[in-house]
Amino acid sequence: VNQIARGGRSHRPPLLAVDVTGALHIVGTLIAYLSASTLIPAVVALGYDESPWPFLVAGAVAGGIGIGVASVTRGDHRLGVREGFLVVALTWLVAAALGALPYVLSGDPQLDRPVDAYFEGMSGFSTTGGSVVPDVEALPHGLAIWRQFTQWLGGIGIIVLALAVLPRLRVGGRQLLEHEMPGPEIETLTTRIRDTARRVWTLYIGLTVVLFGLLLVLGLTGIDDEMSPYQAFAHALTTIPTAGFSTRGDSVEGFAHSTQWVILVFMILGGVNFALMYRAIVRRQPRVAARDQELQLYLALLLVGAAVIVAEIWTEDVVSGLDGLRVGMFTAVSTMTTTGFSVADYNAWPTLAVMTIVGLMFVGGSAGSTTGSVKVVRHLLVGKLLRREIDQTLHPEIVLPVRLNRRVVEERTLRAVLAFVLLYIGIFVVGAIVLAIDAARSGLDLSAFDAVSVSASMLANVGPAFGVGGPLGSFEPFSDFSTLVMTALMWLGRLEIIPIIVLLSRHYWRNA
Amino acid sequence: VKIFVIGAGQVGATIVDALHDEHELTVLDLDEERLAALSQRYDIHTVEGNGASRRVLSDAGVAAADLLIACTSRDESNIVSAMICKAVAPRTTTIVRTTNPEYLDVWREGQLDVDFIVSSEVETAQAISRTIRVPAARQTDVFAEGQVQLVEFDVSGAADPRLLGVPLRQAELPPDSRLAAIIRGDKMVFPRGDETIEVGDRIVVIGSPEAAQAWGELIEPGTGTVTDVVVFGAGRAGTAVARVLLEQGIGVRLIEASLERARLVAADLPDARVYHATGLDPDFLERERIADAQVAIFAMREDVKNHFAAALAKVHGARFTVAIVHDASSVEVFERTGIDVTVNPRQVTAEEIVRFAHDPRTQQVSMLEGDRYEVLDITTRPGSEFVGLAFKDMPIRGSFIGAIVRDGRAVFPRGDETLRPGDRAIIFTESRRVPEVEKAL
Repeated sequence: VNQIARGGRSHRPPLLAVDVTGALHIVGTLIAYLSASTLIPAVVALGYDESPWPFLVAGAVAGGIGIGVASVTRGDHRLGVREGFLVVALTWLVAAALGALPYVLSGDPQLDRPVDAYFEGMSGFSTTGGSVVPDVEALPHGLAIWRQFTQWLGGIGIIVLALAVLPRLRVGGRQLLEHEMPGPEIETLTTRIRDTARRVWTLYIGLTVVLFGLLLVLGLTGIDDEMSPYQAFAHALTTIPTAGFSTRGDSVEGFAHSTQWVILVFMILGGVNFALMYRAIVRRQPRVAARDQELQLYLALLLVGAAVIVAEIWTEDVVSGLDGLRVGMFTAVSTMTTTGFSVADYNAWPTLAVMTIVGLMFVGGSAGSTTGSVKVVRHLLVGKLLRREIDQTLHPEIVLPVRLNRRVVEERTLRAVLAFVLLYIGIFVVGAIVLAIDAARSGLDLSAFDAVSVSASMLANVGPAFGVGGPLGSFEPFSDFSTLVMTALMWLGRLEIIPIIVLLSRHYWRNA
Repeated sequence: VKIFVIGAGQVGATIVDALHDEHELTVLDLDEERLAALSQRYDIHTVEGNGASRRVLSDAGVAAADLLIACTSRDESNIVSAMICKAVAPRTTTIVRTTNPEYLDVWREGQLDVDFIVSSEVETAQAISRTIRVPAARQTDVFAEGQVQLVEFDVSGAADPRLLGVPLRQAELPPDSRLAAIIRGDKMVFPRGDETIEVGDRIVVIGSPEAAQAWGELIEPGTGTVTDVVVFGAGRAGTAVARVLLEQGIGVRLIEASLERARLVAADLPDARVYHATGLDPDFLERERIADAQVAIFAMREDVKNHFAAALAKVHGARFTVAIVHDASSVEVFERTGIDVTVNPRQVTAEEIVRFAHDPRTQQVSMLEGDRYEVLDITTRPGSEFVGLAFKDMPIRGSFIGAIVRDGRAVFPRGDETLRPGDRAIIFTESRRVPEVEKAL
C-alpha cells in the first residue's frame, strides 16, 4: 500500500490548471501575422511623402516579439476552452499595444503619450471610435489611415470571435447564435476559427469594397465634393465594422447628404448577424433572414429609436424637414449600431432625444455582428424570460419553454444571458461612478450625466458620448487614470465581459 | 377471403370476433393459451409461433392470404411481419397496428411498404375529439373522411324550446343535416313532417360537423363550441389528443407529472399550456380553475389513476369527463361511477381495422344501441332499384339515407334530389334490415 501511495505522490500536478504557454503560443502567432498589417499605412505614408518608419519599425518589433514568443513556447500543448479565454483576453490587449506602437514611434504630439496611444489602439481594435485626438485633421495621412485600418482589422476579429470562439467558450449562452456558421459539429477550435474566417471574410471584404466603390462614385461624379478617394477608403474601412473613426474633425457631417444616407445603410448592414447575412446573400436563403426574430426586432428598434429622435427634434424645432429626418435617423442608427459617426452635435438636443440616444447605447446590433453593447437577441430573451416569470407567478406549475425562432432555448443559455446583462449593468454603473469621481478629483468639467454617457458609450463600443467626449469633442481632457478606465471598459465590452471575469476566478487557474 | 391475424391480444380478439363469420381466419401468436381461448370460441385456424419470422409465416401459408393484419402490441414486430408478407406474397394487403404516431408519418410519406397503418393513439385521439366537439352528444361517429358526422342525443328539458313539441316541418333545424330517427322507448319512429321531438326521446342526426355542433347547441344550449380542454397525462395518448384538438383551434391545457416529459411536450406543442403537476392536488385544481374547463380528458397510463383523477375532478366540479380506459373490463366501472365518456384504445383500433377489412362496397359500419341499429356506408350499384328516384319518393322501410358522398364531397340531400349510381349513401337502419338494404342498393 505504501508503495502505491508513494508512487502516486511522485506525480506532481502542474502548477497551473491552464496551459499558459500554449495560450501565449497562439497569441504570439496571431501578433506575428497581424504585424504585417503595418505595411498598409507604410505605403500610404510613402504616397504622401511621410515617414514610413514608425510603421515599419512597429511591424518589425511586433513581428519579432510575436515570432519570438511563438518559438519559445513551441511544443505540445493542451488547448481547450480554458486556454481559449486567456487567448481571447490577451489577443485584444496585445493587439491594442500593436495599434499604439506607431502612434508612440511617430512622435506625433497628439498621440505620443503611451496612455493616450494605448487608448487609441484599444479604441481601434475594439471598433469603438472614441478618440483622444483633439484635431484629427492635423494627423499625418499614414497615422490617420492606421487608425482606420485597426478598426477594420478589429471588425473581422470580432466577427470570428463572435461566431466561432465565444459560442465554443459558452459565453453569453452558446445557443444564442441560431445561425452559427454552417459546418460540421465536431471541430476543433482552430479549424472552426479558420473555416468561419474563410467564409465571413469574403462577405466582409465584399461589403467594404462595395461601400468604397459607392463612396468613390459619389466623389468622382461630383455629388460629394469632399469625398476624395482617400476619404472614401478611410470611411469604407470604419463603416462595416460599425467602428466610427473618421479622418475629419466633424466626423461625416461635412459630407454630402447622399453620402450620409449611403453610410447609414451600411451601418445598418454592419449591425446584422454576419452568419445570417452569409445565409441570405451567399447561400441565397433570404427567407431565413426574413423570419429571424432578432433581425426583426433589430430593425424595429432602429425604427422606433429613429422615430422618437426625429419627432423630438422636429417638434422642438432643432432641425426641421428632410434634414431633421436625416440627422435624427443617422444619429439613431449610428448610436444603436455602436458605430459612432456623427452628423450633428447632439449635446444641445432636447431631453427626450438625448435620453433616447443614451438608451440606444444599451441596445446594440445583432449577435454575430461587429456591434457592441448588450445586443438585440439578449434583450429579446430577457423580455421573453420576464414574460414567463410573470406567467409563472400566477401559474407556478406551468412549464414554459422560451423559444427563439421557434427553437427552444436551453435554460442554461437563459441563465447565461441574464448573468451577462446583470454584469453589463454592474460594470457600467461602476465605470460611471469611477469616471465621475476621478473627473471631480482632476478638475475635469464632467457632469454626472456626462459620466454615465461616457461609461455607457465605452462599454458599448460606441465612441462619442455627451459633454467633452461628445461628437465634436475628444477624450483628451480626461486624466490618465480615467483614460485607462475607459480603455478597460472598451476591452470588457468588446469581449462580452465574461471571458475576462472568468480569469479572475481562482478555479480558473487551479484545479483544487 | 383469407385473412391472417398476427397477435391474439385484445385487438386481435376483437378483430376475430368481428370477422370470423364471413372470412377464413388464421391467427398467429406466441402464447398458446391465448390461441386456445380463441379457437374454443370461434371457428378459426391457429398457429403458435413468431409472426415476424419468415419461416413461420411461410409455413402457415401466408402466400395464399388476401389480407394480413399485424396487431401485436409491438410496433416493430408488426412492421417486420408486414414486410416479410410483402416479400413472400406481394399481392397480399397488409394492415399494421402501431402505437407510435411517428410510423404513421413515415408511412404517409410513402417510406413504409405497408398498405394501411392504424395508430392506436391517433384513432383514440380522433375518437375523443369527435365526442367532445359535440359535448351534448351521447355517441358520435364520422364517415367519409370526417365530412359526415353521426350524432346521437338524449333530449332533456334543457333543450331549446323552438325544438321541443314543434312539428318537424315547421321547426328550424340546422342546415346540412338530417334527422335520421327518433327512438322513443323501445320503438323507432321515423321523422315525418308532422312528428315532434319530445323530452325523453333519443334522436339520431346525420350531418356535417358544423351542423352536428349546431344540433348540440339546440339540445343543450351553452355547450356549442369547445374552447377550453384539460388533458391529464401528456404521454403518447395525451399528446396525440392535444395535437388533434389544437389543430381544430381548441385551447388545451396539459397536466403531466413528470417534469422531463412536461418539458418535452411543452417544447413540442407551442400552443398548449403544459403544467408540471400530478393533477391529484386539490390546491392545484382550485388554483388553475380546472373545473372551469368544458372538458376534462384523462389520458394517463394507468386506469386506476385516470379513474381517481376523474372522480376528483368531478368532485371539484368538472362538467364533462372523458377517460381513456386501457382495460376493457374497467369500462363499466368508469361509466357507472359517473365518467361521461370512455374510450378504449384497443377497441377503437380494432374497429378501425375491421372497417378496413370489411366488404369493399360497404365502407364503414357503426352500431348504435348495442347492435339494434346500424349505420352503413354503401356505394350504389348502377342497377339499384333506387337509382334515379327522388329522395322524397323513396319508400320508408325502416331505413333512412342521411347523406350521400358524390365525387368525394358530402351532400345532405333535399327531397327532390335523386340518387345516382356511384353515390356513397350513409344509411341509418335497423340491424335486421341490413341485408335488405345492401341488396336494394
